[in-house]
Amino acid sequence: MLEVSDLTKKYGKNLAADHIGFTVPDGRIGILLGPNGAGKSTVIKSIAGLLRYKGTIRIQGRDAVSLEAKRRFAYVPELPYMYDALTVREHLEFITRAYGVDAAEEEVQRLLGRFELTDKQDKLGNELSKGMMQKVSICCALITKPEVILLDEPMVGLDPAAIRELKEVILERRADGCTILISTHMLEMVKELWDVTFVMDRGRIVGTYPREAVADEDLEALYFSVTGQENGKDGR
Amino acid sequence: MGAMGYLCRRILCNRIKMALRKPVTYFYLLLLLFYMTALPMSLRMTVEAMGADSAGGLVTVLTVLSLWTIPANLIAFSKRKGVVYRNCDVHFLFPAPVGAKQVLLYAHFKTLTVQVILNLFVIGYGRVIFHAEGWRLAAYFVFSIVAENLLESSVMLLLYGSERMGERQRGMVTKAAYGLAGVLVLMGILAYLRGGLRLQTVADYLHGGMVQAVPVIGWYIAVLHLLFLGPTAVNVAGTACYFLLTAAVLTAARKMKCSGGFYEDAMKFAEDYEEVLESRRQGNIQRRLGRKQKFGRATVCWRGHGARALLYRQLLEYKKSRYFIFDGSTAVAVLAGAAVAFLHVREGGFGELEAFAPFILPSVSAYIIFVFTALNGKWAKELLSPYTYLIPDTVFRKLINATAMQHVQSLVNACLIILPGAAVMGLSPLQTVLAIVFHVVLSANKLYALAVAEAVCGSYLGRLGKQLLQMLIQGMAVMAAVTGGVLGMAAGGILQAYVLMDVFLVLFTVIFMVIAMLNFYNMETA
Repeated sequence: MLEVSDLTKKYGKNLAADHIGFTVPDGRIGILLGPNGAGKSTVIKSIAGLLRYKGTIRIQGRDAVSLEAKRRFAYVPELPYMYDALTVREHLEFITRAYGVDAAEEEVQRLLGRFELTDKQDKLGNELSKGMMQKVSICCALITKPEVILLDEPMVGLDPAAIRELKEVILERRADGCTILISTHMLEMVKELWDVTFVMDRGRIVGTYPREAVADEDLEALYFSVTGQENGKDGR
Repeated sequence: MGAMGYLCRRILCNRIKMALRKPVTYFYLLLLLFYMTALPMSLRMTVEAMGADSAGGLVTVLTVLSLWTIPANLIAFSKRKGVVYRNCDVHFLFPAPVGAKQVLLYAHFKTLTVQVILNLFVIGYGRVIFHAEGWRLAAYFVFSIVAENLLESSVMLLLYGSERMGERQRGMVTKAAYGLAGVLVLMGILAYLRGGLRLQTVADYLHGGMVQAVPVIGWYIAVLHLLFLGPTAVNVAGTACYFLLTAAVLTAARKMKCSGGFYEDAMKFAEDYEEVLESRRQGNIQRRLGRKQKFGRATVCWRGHGARALLYRQLLEYKKSRYFIFDGSTAVAVLAGAAVAFLHVREGGFGELEAFAPFILPSVSAYIIFVFTALNGKWAKELLSPYTYLIPDTVFRKLINATAMQHVQSLVNACLIILPGAAVMGLSPLQTVLAIVFHVVLSANKLYALAVAEAVCGSYLGRLGKQLLQMLIQGMAVMAAVTGGVLGMAAGGILQAYVLMDVFLVLFTVIFMVIAMLNFYNMETA
């Protein structure tokens, strides 16, 4: 379970996150939506432990900055950055060591195979395309067998086969009881995935929509009705 | 440290493997070997001439270095800026279940290889040049790698990682570091007032007991004195203070709570660092760490079409820049021009160099262009933009428009360098113009020489190799200009020499320009 309560973050005088609160229960997929500058990245970076903030973030009941919480948590940032001098395989090896995870060789190969990286595992970080880097980033997150996964624009740069594979993996993890939070602008890509949607605007959560409560409503229509954006025009 | 150790080990091994696969590495190794053997030889004579070829001389060098590095490190750590992380560390390391202190130590120990190499240099040079005893050098090596690292990493942990210490307290540490440096400067002024401006005064100051009594920096200097010059009451006391401080700071760092509050600052620094690296790769040497380039508001009246857009875009960028087309090279040009004129007026000529007086200004121009002008220049930067290729215009017009502003810039610098000197030396207007033309054409030559280097070696020699080749190619053009100068002098006089220098240089520059255009044409049509 991922619990965010009263999260507040200021950059100088600019309030980027204003008393944000939401919960994504075990085995559920939360989607974080909002226009550019709404504060999604601030929330995501705070959960990942990259920012100082006021408020509480708990991962499986533990303080998000604790090592116990971090062991159960995986993060796929919007822009993947690889170690130039590490191969794909070495990235995975480093991550399993850092998280103290035992990953059998077949398991690693299966994961690499799912994202068509088998023949790329000896490539160095600086030899990979952006899409490849994103795939490696996803594999590194999945290999740790996390209980909570945070994905920031995970589909960007991926080819259609990888997007399909990622969606399947996300659904499998949900079935295993994993908590997943996805931040994205690509509403079409997540329409079959979401269980609960949080819409952010100007640093605040302006709407929380469990799927059951808005059964037939289209995610896109929901988003535009809340943010007031329509056809690319800011209606606020 | 399992994961961290693995990370450091693999990065080091892979880097070495990658380097060994590139032929240019062997060239650089040869170059390094040459410098490692040639430098001690030349330094040895200088040091002997100064009478500093003893362990005391080595202590002087190390003391001067520490006066610079210790306050600088303290200030950087207290501003949370001294520890370098890359974006990949932010991606993989910061969210990982690795203790924040370990993450800090990892960044510190990344510099260990460089430290070991530098200390090996100290040992080698200490033995060859300063004749220090082997066991003393060995003791220094151990001290430097173990004790110095313990203190430095503990201070870094406390200043960078402490979550109890707020902005205010860290600011106080910064002020204290400036204070310590200030105390040392005051002591230096006092020594100068007492002993006058002599080498002995500097030596007395650096080896004096007062300096060794200054906390942290002075205590470190005391250890150096004890190690190389033997015990005195002051250096033993200073050394004891140094080790007590190390023990205290180490204990505090071990007990300190650190859960990664510094990640935010480290992440910003990493982003900034990567941006600076990228800017430098593109030839923008003005971009500095921690200082974002600020742009104001400006407009430009766009005229013409096609490649003209490149010129007006650059003009708009310059107008938005704080100092328009003026930068560090302008300041250098002002200083150089003023210095040449001042020297000529004060000394009533150039003394022994008087016979070469007409060529002093072109020589100063050449030196400044070689040393102070950006290696890449505007053209190389434009080549990185896809729009340069997409603009429907001829290669010639693209090249001319993309480099026009840089020629204007070098014209301004040329005037600043040449005019004061020409005025005091009494050069004729025609000679002055020819000297200015020499500067502008040589500047353009450097710009196009890079394109020639690019055409010759591609990416085979790497960035540094390409720049070395660029210097070699430009060196050929300069040699041609020198030949022109000599022929001109033989043919009639200074004016003829200036004309031939310019003609030869223009010829080479036009050839380089054509090669640059052909290279660009090949890139466009490939």
